[in-house]
Amino acid sequence: MSSRRKANCWEVMSCGHGPGSAELCPAALDVTSAGVNGGVNAGRICWTVPGTLCFGEPQGDFVDKQERCLACRFFLQVRDEEGQEFRFVKLAQGIRDADTLHARITQVESLMGIRDRLRARFNLDAVIGSLVLLLRGNPPRLHGEFTLRGRAAQVDIPFDESSAVGYAAVNDQAVNVKNPYQAPVQQDDVPFNQAFDEACHCRTDSLLAVPVHDSEGRVLGVITAANSEKGAFSQDDQWFMERYAVEVGLAVERARLLHEATAAGRMASISESLAGLSHFLKDVAHALTGTSFIIRRAVERGRMDDIKTAWEILDRHVKRLADLCKDVLTYDPERPDEICPGNLNDTVADAVSLLQAEARTRAIDLTTELGRGLNRWPHSKRGIYRCVVNLVVNSMDACPPSGGRVVVATDHRDGRAIIRVSDNGEGMDAESKGQMLETFKTGDRARGSGIGLPTVVDIVDRHGGQLEVDSELGGGSAFTIYLPRAG
Amino acid sequence: MGEAKKRILVVDDDQDDLKMISMILEPEGYEVVTAENGLDALQQVESKSPDLILLDVMMPELDGFAASDKLKSSPKSQGIPIVLLTGVAKQITKSKYPINGVLRAQVEEYLEKPVEPEELLRVVASFLK
Repeated sequence: MSSRRKANCWEVMSCGHGPGSAELCPAALDVTSAGVNGGVNAGRICWTVPGTLCFGEPQGDFVDKQERCLACRFFLQVRDEEGQEFRFVKLAQGIRDADTLHARITQVESLMGIRDRLRARFNLDAVIGSLVLLLRGNPPRLHGEFTLRGRAAQVDIPFDESSAVGYAAVNDQAVNVKNPYQAPVQQDDVPFNQAFDEACHCRTDSLLAVPVHDSEGRVLGVITAANSEKGAFSQDDQWFMERYAVEVGLAVERARLLHEATAAGRMASISESLAGLSHFLKDVAHALTGTSFIIRRAVERGRMDDIKTAWEILDRHVKRLADLCKDVLTYDPERPDEICPGNLNDTVADAVSLLQAEARTRAIDLTTELGRGLNRWPHSKRGIYRCVVNLVVNSMDACPPSGGRVVVATDHRDGRAIIRVSDNGEGMDAESKGQMLETFKTGDRARGSGIGLPTVVDIVDRHGGQLEVDSELGGGSAFTIYLPRAG
Repeated sequence: MGEAKKRILVVDDDQDDLKMISMILEPEGYEVVTAENGLDALQQVESKSPDLILLDVMMPELDGFAASDKLKSSPKSQGIPIVLLTGVAKQITKSKYPINGVLRAQVEEYLEKPVEPEELLRVVASFLK
């Protein structure tokens, strides 16, 4: 990171909606983007944040405002300043595991209008789906899935120099092939493999292949586009593809890290569950062994009163065992965490009621202010429950030793549900806020215990929502989750 | 039985467990007094002078290890044999109690839950001959 402080949009554009202003812009509040392009919150990737307060009025989402954004002098300034490091989209966010990678790439491409931009540039009408080929298997091959003229197709290209795509991956360099069927067929000895055209019954006139890297520079795969409308791919096209490749690289890497972390986390949680289960079963077995002995001996000795008492104890433990069976049957760690319409206030109230006892013992006044119109709001009940529990626990920890107060409020505005957890704690100075933001930025989920703000960010991401933090030293903190109606 | 009944203090925070252990011991001619946590146990030792203590490990207030430490360091109670009842014998090395915590606490014996009643009676009898 550069030691020189980089300018954020509110500073360059002088909009008056930056930190400390009366009307804060969502870009200034979006902690999930902290550090991207070296900015404070989304201060240097504001074009991805819906509803920014540019030009004196709230803007729409990226698709609505992209024309304006891509011509904006601040966007161009960040692009020039960041050069090769420029982050255009936050593709990596929202990827939970390797399985959802392709879905997420497609989703972000469409959300950000990338597909439309690519289509306009690269004549992609015939090709729909991911353009990303990833290295897989041993020996590695470049593998991709897409739809061509309505038919699902798979490409599987050897990781060698026998094709332009393979050449780009092996040599780790962008390849721009023009008129491959004309002699001389290749530029700079880049080969062209006609097998793909034969398989797809099409004819490639021009081809651009750009390598995708992880953060340590290892090649993960290649992004390809064929057939430019303009006859050949320009330097500008290549620049665009290379920027996009940076995002894809981050996304792929994150998906893999998450996959590993999830697998490790699942093992840890199974082992924890088994320890808990074993303890529970020992307790029950202890009671069953004891009461069985008492009853047997009481029968031998005719002590009917003992039988009655022992039987009551036995009954209670048999019921505990039956309850456990029910819990085990309904507990499925693999069950997807579905986002579906439900009463958001109920979810929030359940989470708060879990912590009421804890709040009472710490003399913290924990209250809810639940708004209307949230009866059928799409959300993951389990996910949002965890978010609220995490945020309330954090807020309670921040409360003063006496007179602590935490308010959990819900509402909705402009098609977004709002869950706001605020406290009257000490608030955060710039340094602690920076430390907190660091955890968002590094996105290191593997080390966490599943509790804390990174988890909240993950869950909110999955809903396509935002998390905002508002905190001042001495003025308490407020964490606000926004959830779109259309997830 | 001509001689006075031997008195056993059973310490456990679970009411069912207290009742059950009492019901195993009493028909065999022992007198049982109970306590629901470590602090309660210290008072009972003071007032009831038991001949043996059966001590659960996991309890609120003062747990079994801490209670046995206190009992063994007091001249008045250090002669009373203590049998720890624990569900965590195999996990002791993982917990905050090291495995030698049992030895350091100088309890005479420990039994892992689920405790076999016959085994319990055998151990109790061995201390109260």
